[in-house]
Amino acid sequence: MESPEHTPYREWLDLAADGGLEPERQAPLERHLAACPECRAELAALQSLDSLLMRSRLPVQPDLRSRVMQALPVAGWEARHPRTWSFPVALMVLLAGAATALLGTGAAPLDPAAHSGWGALFAVAGMFKATLLAGGGLLAASWRGVGMVVEGSLTPAVMGGFALFVVFLNLLLVSLLRRRRELPADPLEMRRE
Amino acid sequence: MTRGVEQPTDEELVAAVLAGDRERFGDLVERYQARLVNYLFRLLRNPDDAHDLAQEVLVKVYQALDRFDPQFRFSTWLFRIAQNSAIDQIRRRRFRLVSLSAEGGEREGEGHDWDLPAPERGPYGELRNRERGDAIQEAIDSLPWEYRELILLRHMGELPYEEIARMKGMPLGTVKNKLFRGRQMLKEKLEDFLSD
Repeated sequence: MESPEHTPYREWLDLAADGGLEPERQAPLERHLAACPECRAELAALQSLDSLLMRSRLPVQPDLRSRVMQALPVAGWEARHPRTWSFPVALMVLLAGAATALLGTGAAPLDPAAHSGWGALFAVAGMFKATLLAGGGLLAASWRGVGMVVEGSLTPAVMGGFALFVVFLNLLLVSLLRRRRELPADPLEMRRE
Repeated sequence: MTRGVEQPTDEELVAAVLAGDRERFGDLVERYQARLVNYLFRLLRNPDDAHDLAQEVLVKVYQALDRFDPQFRFSTWLFRIAQNSAIDQIRRRRFRLVSLSAEGGEREGEGHDWDLPAPERGPYGELRNRERGDAIQEAIDSLPWEYRELILLRHMGELPYEEIARMKGMPLGTVKNKLFRGRQMLKEKLEDFLSD
């Protein structure tokens, strides 16, 4: 059985070998080591273990850095970066300016009041308004069509079946999420099966 | 008196990358590649898989760099992603391993020729190195997971105790205690090689 006077030092030895011992414990440990050959041997063994683990390290393939750098895709955050944004924004401003100038030139003969840039701006606004109206009309028409189809087939049985289907989908999703979160006590245990 | 060039911190490098200096990410790769590859190697037991997964992890880290919270250490974040990726890879392998075992094939990661540094030359030295490499892997594999993951984070990932505690959500004392127990187990198992 280990003698009681070694007990407080065993964990300190481990930390000392690993470089994690608090400085204030260094001096008491050294005093103990000076008088205790058993703990000196234990410290030497722990240092050997540390060195053994260091020596067992795998050398890294020299091209890993370049492989990683070549494999880097354009990250999502890069697209939001101001420098990345600057070019598309400048291009859009340029295109908008060109469109305004063109429409302004085209609108000039139709409207005597459009000799200034205001006429061009009104023309662009009118174009947007027409586009929105057309889009809105199409959307309304398509939804009305969907509504008519649903209305025709809407019976209590269909509604009940649909509700059951939704509940089933939710349960499936919850069970999948739970299964993913449950890690085995030892994730590597499976390798020894 | 000459002063050494002060190295930028991880957080400074991350900030530089986010500011548009993509090349600084290479400095982070350089800083962590050895620790990351060795950490993954001890989990996956295959050098090529370890390198491939290290590359995958680093790319994943780059893509998520804007979500890195600077109140945590970069290394903690990196090794958390590495550990999750390694566990996912081992899970995926499970099915392949089962089918290989059923066919009587060699299990992946075993029977490989590790290119470990060889401090001892000559036929005996090489044999001894191989024995040592196998013994270390076996000793690590035989540790219960709660000790093994900490031993690998400390000795291969070189994470400080405080970072390991933070990463695993454990009190610092528990981390020290588990590492102490893990190292005691390793010491017993590797007794024959400690005098090398």
